[in-house]
Amino acid sequence: MNPLLAQFLAEANDLLAQVDEGLLQLERVPGDPELVNEVFRAAHTFKGSSGLFDFPELTRLTHAAEDLLDAVRGGRLALDSQMTDDLLAAFDLIRGWLAHVTAHERLPASAGGDAAGLITRLRSPLGGGDTAPAAATAGVPAPVISAAPDWLAWFDAEWLTEIAAWLGTTSSTMRFVHYTPDTDCFFRAEDPLHLVRQVPALERLGLVQPPAWPDPEDYDEYTCLISFVVATRAALGELDYLFRYVPDQIEIVELDAGAITRHLSGEPPLTAEEPVTVAITPMIDTELAADARAVLRAAHSALTMEGVVNEGPRLRSVRHAVTAAARALGVPVDLAESGPDELLATVARLAGEAAPAPAMAAPMSDMSDVAVPPPPPMVVPADAPGRADDPGGQVGTRVLKVDQEKVDRLMELVGELNVAKNGLTFLADAAEEEFGSRVLSRRIKDQYAGMHRIAEELQAAVMDVRMLPLSVAFGRFPRLVRDLSRRLGKTIDLVTEGEDTMADKDVIEALGDPLVHLVRNSLDHGIETAEERLAAGKHGAAKLTLAAVADGDAVIVEVADDGRGVDPERVKRKAYEKGLISEEELETLTDTEAVDLVFRPGFSTADQVSDLSGRGVGMDAVRASVEKLGGTVTMRSKLGQGTSTRLRLPLSMAVTQVMVVSVAGQRFGIPVDLVVETVRVPAGEMSRVLHQEVVMMRGEVVPVVDLARALDMPWTLAEGADRPILVVSVNNQRVGLLVEQFHREVDVILKPMEGLLAYADEFSGTALLGDGLVLLVLNMKEVLGLAARVA
Amino acid sequence: MTTVMLVDDSATMLMSLKSILTKAGYAVETAGHGKEALDKLGKGVKPNLIISDVNMPQMDGITFAREARKAPGMRFTPILMLTTESEQTKRAEAKAAGATGWLVKPVGPDQLLGVIKQVLPGA
Amino acid sequence: MPLELHEETANLVGVVTVDEVEQLAGWLRTAKRPKVSLRRCNHLHTGALQALLLFKPKISSAPNDAFLAAQVLPLLTGSNGPAHKQGSDPP
Repeated sequence: MNPLLAQFLAEANDLLAQVDEGLLQLERVPGDPELVNEVFRAAHTFKGSSGLFDFPELTRLTHAAEDLLDAVRGGRLALDSQMTDDLLAAFDLIRGWLAHVTAHERLPASAGGDAAGLITRLRSPLGGGDTAPAAATAGVPAPVISAAPDWLAWFDAEWLTEIAAWLGTTSSTMRFVHYTPDTDCFFRAEDPLHLVRQVPALERLGLVQPPAWPDPEDYDEYTCLISFVVATRAALGELDYLFRYVPDQIEIVELDAGAITRHLSGEPPLTAEEPVTVAITPMIDTELAADARAVLRAAHSALTMEGVVNEGPRLRSVRHAVTAAARALGVPVDLAESGPDELLATVARLAGEAAPAPAMAAPMSDMSDVAVPPPPPMVVPADAPGRADDPGGQVGTRVLKVDQEKVDRLMELVGELNVAKNGLTFLADAAEEEFGSRVLSRRIKDQYAGMHRIAEELQAAVMDVRMLPLSVAFGRFPRLVRDLSRRLGKTIDLVTEGEDTMADKDVIEALGDPLVHLVRNSLDHGIETAEERLAAGKHGAAKLTLAAVADGDAVIVEVADDGRGVDPERVKRKAYEKGLISEEELETLTDTEAVDLVFRPGFSTADQVSDLSGRGVGMDAVRASVEKLGGTVTMRSKLGQGTSTRLRLPLSMAVTQVMVVSVAGQRFGIPVDLVVETVRVPAGEMSRVLHQEVVMMRGEVVPVVDLARALDMPWTLAEGADRPILVVSVNNQRVGLLVEQFHREVDVILKPMEGLLAYADEFSGTALLGDGLVLLVLNMKEVLGLAARVA
Repeated sequence: MTTVMLVDDSATMLMSLKSILTKAGYAVETAGHGKEALDKLGKGVKPNLIISDVNMPQMDGITFAREARKAPGMRFTPILMLTTESEQTKRAEAKAAGATGWLVKPVGPDQLLGVIKQVLPGA
Repeated sequence: MPLELHEETANLVGVVTVDEVEQLAGWLRTAKRPKVSLRRCNHLHTGALQALLLFKPKISSAPNDAFLAAQVLPLLTGSNGPAHKQGSDPP
């Protein structure tokens, strides 16, 4: 089901309950203004939301209910029990409909007929025809030719003369607007000049200066002192619409050549011509009339069907319905004591008198036939299906609206639970080491295992709540691509795929900036102009694809274009010129490796910087921000065929597993994802290549970095002791980290660095450990960079 | 990025407007009633435009508009009220309270984006 | 920044909103021989227009924006209608 509809149904359930309860209370405490207001508001919200879907009957019925409640609220009508019945019946009917909508996503076919009677009855206390929505436009329509107002003088005479001649030659008219903004209009966020520039077919703008400008010292720049006069060829309707928020600040006249000429020659303006009086034929709201006719049809078929209506409640309700319909049609009738035959005659007469407009379907002349097409459903008001005790099915699935902050709080608590849980392992160690009880230690560990499982499930459940579809991140791109492509003069088809892939809300949020950068980059540099594309034998319209797909614990987002691609030779040359690669690399780098150079810091070059893809913020920033999320970026490109950039991000970033190690007495965390293995290497097996310590592992030479030295924490290793080495894989390269000691793996909630440490790139965040210590989690890439610099 | 704050007690309405706005490239802040919206404004949320319902629990839209105008940085921010066809008098009240204009429910994408363009220079 | 203010010259850039009005008026108040370039200006708030009308700086270059160039610039240079006259009573 469309999520918006699901949301509506969930909300509708609450609103229906509110209305029911409110109405029932109102019956006990009639006229309580607070209660009336509450019911009104619920009906009002209902109507507002129902308009979003293609349920016209629902909107009309709620509209009728709302109007009735509004009249009650405004004190124009006292709520009686008949009205309460009708209102309850209306909302019962709606409840039935919504159950149908829940199952079939549309209203029952009978909805129109079912609603017609109720609408008529709800409207009848308001007095039939009066309910037609006021058709009057905001402003008083200008008489076709007005007398030229004095303010015309604010246009220059030369132009007025010209335009008068032209209007005379072409026997046409022009609209003139005098716009006098309120002096305090800026404080309603009005910008008169902005409004004026939106006047369609604006011909001339004139300025009305204030009688006297204030002294510059006393000038208040937020008081609007100026006014405008505007000449335009736009239609009155367009002007009324544009100025609808400021009707009291606007005067519009329509002038022809004569009126302008008289103004120019200084003749007193002719008195305005007699206002044209238009004969207003009382018109009955067609919607209401259609409803009334439907009621009459229903009544007719009820009355003609043998044995259905004789006496008692049914006849009374038919009588009630027909009376209401008659009033709506402007032909009131008195049917107080009439029997079935009399009623039937009245129905026939009403049908004749209130013959529908010719365009209307279902001619009422068929009324005399027994078979009335189409056979209307046998629902005559008072018998509307289902009262409150018969809810007629469950509306919507139960959906809770939860504040995002509450979910965040829940996540925090899960994190704290994890921390507390991790504390148990310390306790187990203490039980064994300090109190010498291996049994107790064992039992604590068992307890830990049980808690661990529950905590994991709880965490998964909360994570699930936090999941959002990628469409949230993709949502802004149609507009962005449209605007940018227009500015660049390129034709681009944006294709999005896999928008319903889910990821944690933090990931989705963090994805925003890198994606915008990649898309802009693609638009700016990757995609050629239509001419270039056609010259290269491509389709004139470029294709830009945003795709997302789930991959285990990760989500892969790809930005791909079919543009000019990256030229590996040019990239290599540029990187060499910038001193980013050596001459040897210039020779040996493969094309794939060359493309990857664009992510090197300092690669973005001046000729790449434009006002679109930012000032010097290069692809290195994209890579850095994605890696900060624990993700990776790779780019593939074929010269002349296009480029695709692939971001791989963890589905969630709330909980990170880290391996705790210590160096020089201080503990640090390293993301477990990066850890390949932990080994203890006898001192003798360490060797040196150039200045780099290395170790041989399964025939592979692995460089070993002294973590303490890289972090500038002096320590000395006992001579001859085994070397604890943590092997990590960063950028597909194995590196050994020489540490002092290994500790356990823990789940932590990573918090971003704050304060002074926020600029320390070698740390990706902090986490609280079970024993209360704050753990610094290392950003391995930066640490290895540091190590290289130290060496 | 241009930020729009939506204030409405109907989650459906919030959802529909938000989806239109985010698709059009706006950032969106939402609040379920006037009080919550004022809280957000007080906490430093700075929308470029506010769209608020009129009928809401806790604090109605007109009171909210009046109060929002006094929030820091909000004195020149356009405020649009969500009204129904029948709420003509509410519109005048809203304007007096400092609202810039109004939208008539149900609000479609063209209407919404058109009005934002009309009241927000450079939007 | 929509306002690039120097000692005697100012560039209005992009959309000059109501938020810039106070700063612009302040600059116009203190600058001795203010010159304003509208070349890169796409829109200016009524309050900014009003400040330009009051302080009458020299407009050093015309706006690229079509509406500003055709309809608003003449108001500032007094070549469109009786803008040089004062008083709300029409002449």
